[in-house]
Amino acid sequence: MLAEMMKYKELLYFLVHKEIRVKYRNSFFGFFWSLLEPLGLMVIYTVVFSYILGIDGRGGITIERYPLFILSGLIPWTFFNNAIRGGTRALSSNASLIKKVYFPREIFPTTILLSNLVNFFPAFGLVIAAALAVGHTIHWDMLLLLPFFILVQSAFTMACVLLVSILNVYYRDVEFISNLLLRAWMYLCPIIYPIQFVMQNDNELVRQLADLYLLNPMAVIISLYHSIFYGHNHVIGAGWILYTIAVTIVFFFISWGIFRRLNHRVGEVI
Amino acid sequence: MDAIVVNNLTKHFRKAYDKTLKGFLISLVKREKRYKEFTALNGVSFSVKQGESFAIIGGNGAGKSTLFKVLSGIIRPDSGDVQINGKVAPLIELGAGLNRDLTGAENIRLNCAIFGLNKERIQEVYPKIVEFSELEDFIHTPVKFYSSGMKARLGFSIAIHIDADIILIDEVLAVGDKDFKKKCYAKMEELKNAGKTLVIVSHSLSPLRRICDQGLILDKGQVVDIGDIHTILDKYEQEYDKRKKRKKKLKQKA
Repeated sequence: MLAEMMKYKELLYFLVHKEIRVKYRNSFFGFFWSLLEPLGLMVIYTVVFSYILGIDGRGGITIERYPLFILSGLIPWTFFNNAIRGGTRALSSNASLIKKVYFPREIFPTTILLSNLVNFFPAFGLVIAAALAVGHTIHWDMLLLLPFFILVQSAFTMACVLLVSILNVYYRDVEFISNLLLRAWMYLCPIIYPIQFVMQNDNELVRQLADLYLLNPMAVIISLYHSIFYGHNHVIGAGWILYTIAVTIVFFFISWGIFRRLNHRVGEVI
Repeated sequence: MDAIVVNNLTKHFRKAYDKTLKGFLISLVKREKRYKEFTALNGVSFSVKQGESFAIIGGNGAGKSTLFKVLSGIIRPDSGDVQINGKVAPLIELGAGLNRDLTGAENIRLNCAIFGLNKERIQEVYPKIVEFSELEDFIHTPVKFYSSGMKARLGFSIAIHIDADIILIDEVLAVGDKDFKKKCYAKMEELKNAGKTLVIVSHSLSPLRRICDQGLILDKGQVVDIGDIHTILDKYEQEYDKRKKRKKKLKQKA
């Protein structure tokens, strides 16, 4: 796939550029929305969950600098969320092009991933700025691991995007289902609450199921981002990191296989 | 050498394909067949030599467009094989792949990139495409505001400039004014002389005599006849006249 993509790098560049430009067309703040969106969400979640629900002092677990905590989890999640939302329509919205000329259709999901990745990078600057602003010392040595975390997350996201984009051509229900699942998925990740809430829960049942919690690769990935930008509030074992990498690789090849299989009829059903 | 070899090509379509998950689940429970099959192409075989111009003729629903889409790689055949030696540029319905929201200039870049041209090459051919299309004044206007004639011009201009060895042309010359048509025919002859292979799908017959060498009549997904363009066209016209008369008679009786 990579070799084929290189052949079409000019097309990829064009489509990513177009995607980003179309997204912020007719908007006053333009590209700054990629920063304003997570900032706005940070304010909303802080008001609701910290001030109204008082989540940050519950069960003897205090979360210091709650806005920073929210932001450091929310930004990778927004990347994942937006990529999948865009991904469901990656093929179906380009029907006119797909019906007329042939070129590798993996280009469309790849475009979605790359354009969201481009939006993702400036947001990291925001987290670092926020961390410095609230007087948090960033673990600069951990920052070296950031590209690796981004790579794992991108591969996992790409696998999801490949799958939803091709399924949505056949059944438009996929778009609605995936939007709903994303909402549930977000609450199953340690974004608005720290992972200790699950690990040290008062409810015994929740504690018993806590091991299953990390089966969710996104939960592991978000925790890894926390460890860089927020601090070692809960160290994820190396075993879980290896597990996440393994799941990502297997899942990637499975969804790519499904994509190629279902791709055969895309030209006629789209 | 043959530019295109098509061997025993068959393509079925699924009719009444239910696009919802609900429909899929219901038919799964009822254990009924989820679709009706419809044969669009049935055992089609032919070959086109390099540098030859080949016409595919047939009425509506004969399978011309399906064959066209199989040749350009958009649709996969169910059985049989298609061998294509060289780079194919399809030109379908008033300009292939013109994206409505993009301007003419952007569409040129997009289409060139789709056909794998690199940046330098795109910059090289861009002025040639603009010049040939005669759309200098409208090149920065979104394509959705173009007339069908303008779209056809742009589409044709792009297709002939992307260094393809095989050019597939579908009815595009039905639109566009007389002068542009003339220019297109001249360009097609020029391409032919340059050793490019042309495949033209059409039902306007007279221009085919000038450009094409070989022809194929398609009816209900099957090849009726292949041969020299003049014999093929004469045969097709006779058949066409007969059918017309028969229809008239039926009408008169009624």
